[in-house]
Amino acid sequence: MIAEEPRVDAAKVTELARSIETELARLIVGQQALVRDTVISLIAGGHVLLEGVPGLGKTVLVRSLGQALSMSFSRIQFTPDLMPADIVGTNVIGDEAGRREFHYQAGPIFANLVLADEINRATPKTQSALLEAMQEHTVTVGTQTRPLPSPFFVLATQNPIELEGTYPLPEAQLDRFFFKILVPFPSEKDLLEIARRTTGESAPQLRAVADAEAILAAQQVAREVPIAEHVLLYAARLIGATHPDRTELDGVRRYVRWGASPRGLQTLVLAAKVRALLEGRYNVAFDDLSAVAPPALRHRIFLQFEAEADGISADRLITDILEHTVKESARA
Amino acid sequence: MSSLDAIIRELGRAAARARGARYAVHALVAALAWIALMLVIARLTPFEGRALAAAVGIPIVFVIALGAWLLRRPSAAVLMRLADFRLGLKERLSTAWERRSESGPMDAVQLRDALRQASGTRLATAFPVRVNRGEASVVAVLAIFSLALALLPNPMDQVLAQRQADRLSQARAAKAVQAAQKKIADNPKPTPVDPQVQKLLQDAAAKIRQADSPRKALESITPAEQQLQKLTDPGTPALSSSAQNLANALSATAAGKSAAQAISSSPAQGAQSVRDLASQLQSLSPKDRDELAKALAKAAQQAQNSQMRDSLNKASSSLKSGDTSAAAQSLNDVASQLDSLQQQENTDQAVASAINGLEAARQELAAQADRDATGQGAQANAGTSASPGASPGAGASGNGNGNGNGTGTGTGTGTGTGTGTGNGGTGGNGGTRGNGGNGSGTGSGSGAQSTERVYVPGQPVPGQSQNDPTPLGPGQDVPTSPYSQVIQAYQQAALDATDQSLIPGSERDLVRQYFSQLGEQSAAGPK
Repeated sequence: MIAEEPRVDAAKVTELARSIETELARLIVGQQALVRDTVISLIAGGHVLLEGVPGLGKTVLVRSLGQALSMSFSRIQFTPDLMPADIVGTNVIGDEAGRREFHYQAGPIFANLVLADEINRATPKTQSALLEAMQEHTVTVGTQTRPLPSPFFVLATQNPIELEGTYPLPEAQLDRFFFKILVPFPSEKDLLEIARRTTGESAPQLRAVADAEAILAAQQVAREVPIAEHVLLYAARLIGATHPDRTELDGVRRYVRWGASPRGLQTLVLAAKVRALLEGRYNVAFDDLSAVAPPALRHRIFLQFEAEADGISADRLITDILEHTVKESARA
Repeated sequence: MSSLDAIIRELGRAAARARGARYAVHALVAALAWIALMLVIARLTPFEGRALAAAVGIPIVFVIALGAWLLRRPSAAVLMRLADFRLGLKERLSTAWERRSESGPMDAVQLRDALRQASGTRLATAFPVRVNRGEASVVAVLAIFSLALALLPNPMDQVLAQRQADRLSQARAAKAVQAAQKKIADNPKPTPVDPQVQKLLQDAAAKIRQADSPRKALESITPAEQQLQKLTDPGTPALSSSAQNLANALSATAAGKSAAQAISSSPAQGAQSVRDLASQLQSLSPKDRDELAKALAKAAQQAQNSQMRDSLNKASSSLKSGDTSAAAQSLNDVASQLDSLQQQENTDQAVASAINGLEAARQELAAQADRDATGQGAQANAGTSASPGASPGAGASGNGNGNGNGTGTGTGTGTGTGTGTGNGGTGGNGGTRGNGGNGSGTGSGSGAQSTERVYVPGQPVPGQSQNDPTPLGPGQDVPTSPYSQVIQAYQQAALDATDQSLIPGSERDLVRQYFSQLGEQSAAGPK
C-alpha cells in the first residue's frame, strides 16, 4: 500500500508555527502559552476569546499577529451603542451613473483577522451579529449572503473585572470560540522586559512571516494528523466527564450545569493535532489532549451558582477531570 | 529497528519475561500461602494429609500461574500502548501499529517517526523484570510464618500418631482374624460350617478395619464370637466324654485295648477300630467277650450321651447273652457315633480357631484402646499383639498355677488368650482383659473358676488320661479340658505364633521361656 504524501510537508507547518511564535515573541514578552494557544487556534482555523484585565497585551497580541501574517486585519471596538450593521456592513443608497440605488457597504468583519475588542461591551444583538460569521464564514445582509475571506480568524477580547455595563456572551456565542485563552499577569522578569522594550526609543517592527495561503495549507495538514483510537476514546471520555449526568466526579456533578458540547470534542481533537505538529510529532498524544483541554473546554463548561460561591472555577474542574479520566494504555 | 513487527517481537519477549517473573512471584506467594494455610489447619485439627496436600498444592499453583501466563498474554496493541506509556513515546508506536494498514497522507511519515523514536530507546526497559516490593515482603513473611509453623511442636501430632497407632492396631487385629480365616481354609478336614465361619471372620475383619477406633472395633468382635458359638454342637462334650470313657473302659480289656488307643487318638480312628472289634466278636474267647461286655457296661454307665449309652448297653447285653451279631450291630452304632463325634470335633476345631483369631484381635484392640485411654496411644508398639492360642489359658483346672493370665474376655468364652496379668473373669462378664502387654503374668491371677466358660482349642495329648472330664457348667456350651492335656498344644501354638511374628521380637523369648517353664511343670506332674 502506497501512502499518500501530505500536500504540505508537516515539518513545514512546525516551522511556520515556530516562525510566527518567534516573530510574536519580539513584541510579546513572556506569555508563551498565550502565543502558543493563539497559533494553535490560527492553524486549526478557530476563533479565540482572550480574557484578561486591561493592559496585559491582548490587543497588542492580536495586532502583532496581524503584522506577522500578511493578511487583511481589522479591529472592531465593541461598545454598547455598536450596531450589527457596524460589524457586518449595510446597504446604503449610492449614486451610480445618475441612478440612486442601494449598494452593499461591507463592514469590518470582512478581513482575514478580526479583532473584536472588548466584545462583552456590545449588546447581545450586536454580539450575535458575529454568530453566522464565526460559524459559517458568511455574512447575510438583507437577502444576500456573502462569503468572508479565507482564512477568517476572529480574536475577541473581554475584561473579566469591569462587569458593569457589560453583556456576558451567551452560551451559543461562547461555543463558537475555538479557545478561550486566559491572559495571565506577567512575571516580574517579564515586567522588566516589557518596560525595557516598550519605553525605549523605538518599538520593534514585526515582519510578515506567513500569508493566507500558508495558513490554509497548514490548516489542511493539521487535519491529516492521525490519532489512535484509544487516544480518541480518551478525548471522548474527557468530554463525557464534563457532564454532570455522565461523570463520576463529585465536583462536576455538584458544580457543573452544562458540560461541553460535541463541538468541544472537535475542538479538543483538532487543537491536539495542531499541537502535535507544533511539537514536531505526527500523531496525537494524550499529552496533547491534556494541554489543549483547558482553553478548549473552559468556556464550554457552564457552572452552577454554587461553584462561584465556593470559588470553583472551570479550570479547576478541568484539572480534576484530566487527573481522573482513565487512559487506556495506563490500564492495559 | 527495522519494522513494527520487529518491535512487537522484542516487546513481546520482554513482556513475556516480565510477566513470567511476576506470575512466578504470584505463584510463590500463593504456594506459600497454601502451605501456611495447611500448617494452620494442621494445628487446629488433626490433618493427616497435610504434607501431601501442601505438596500437591505447590505444583497446582504453579500450573495455574503458567496457565494464566499463557492465556493472559497482552495483545500487540496493548504492548505498543504500554511501550508508549512507559518509554514516553507519546503514543507514536500505538498509533503507527493501529494505522499500519492505513494509507493516509501522514501515515508514512508518522511510521518513520515512530520507528526512529523507537530505535533510540531500549524497548525491553518497557517491561522490566522486577519483583514488587510488597509481594517480596509477603513472600518473606509467609516463608517465616510457614517455617515457624513447621518447626514449632504441633499438638495435633500426638493425635495423629495415636490415630496411626489405632489404625495399625486395627490392621494387626484384622490380620489376626485373617490368619484364623486362612488357617481354617487350609484345614485338610473341611467342615460343613466352614463357609459360615469364613463369612463371619471376613465380616469381622472388615468391621475391625472400618471401625473409627479400636474401641469401636472391639464392639464387633463379641457378636461375631456369639454367632460362631451358635455353630458348635452343644452335645459334643457329652459325646466326647462318653467316647473317652469308652476308651478308658476298653483299655482295661485285652480285646479292646487297641480300640481304646484308637479312640483316644481320634474318634475317627476309634470308629474304625470299634468296627474292627465288632467284626472280630465271634472270634473272641468267652472270657474276652465277658471282659468286653463288662467294659462296655461300665462305659455305658459313665456315658453322658444317651445314644452312646443305649448302644453300649445293647452291645454289652448282647455280648453277655452271646448274641454276637447284635453286639456287632450295636458296636457299629457306637462307631457311627464316634464318626459323628469326629465331625463335631472338626467343626468345633474350626470354630475354636476362628474364636482364637477373634480373641487375638480383641487382645490387640483392647491394648490399643487402653493406651488411647491413658493418652499413650501414640506409643504404639507391636508388643501388644497376642498370638492366637498362645496363652496357656485360664487354667481350666482351676488350680491357680501362678500364671493365671486367662482374661475373661467378656464374651463368655474365657479363652484365656490374653497375656496380661489380670485375674480371670468370672462368668465371662467382660472388662477383665490383661492390662499390659508384657505377656508375663506375674502369678497374681487366680485362675479361672470352675464355672468359667473356658474353651480350649488344643487337643488333649493322645494317651493321656481322660478319667475326670470337667462337667459342663450352667449355660456352658463347650467343654473344658485339663491343663495337662492341652499344655503341649498350647505351647506349640504359642511357638507357631511367635514364628509368625504375631508376637514382637522382644516378647518372643519371654513367651518361649514361659512355655518351657510350663512344660517342665507339666512334665513334673499333672496339674
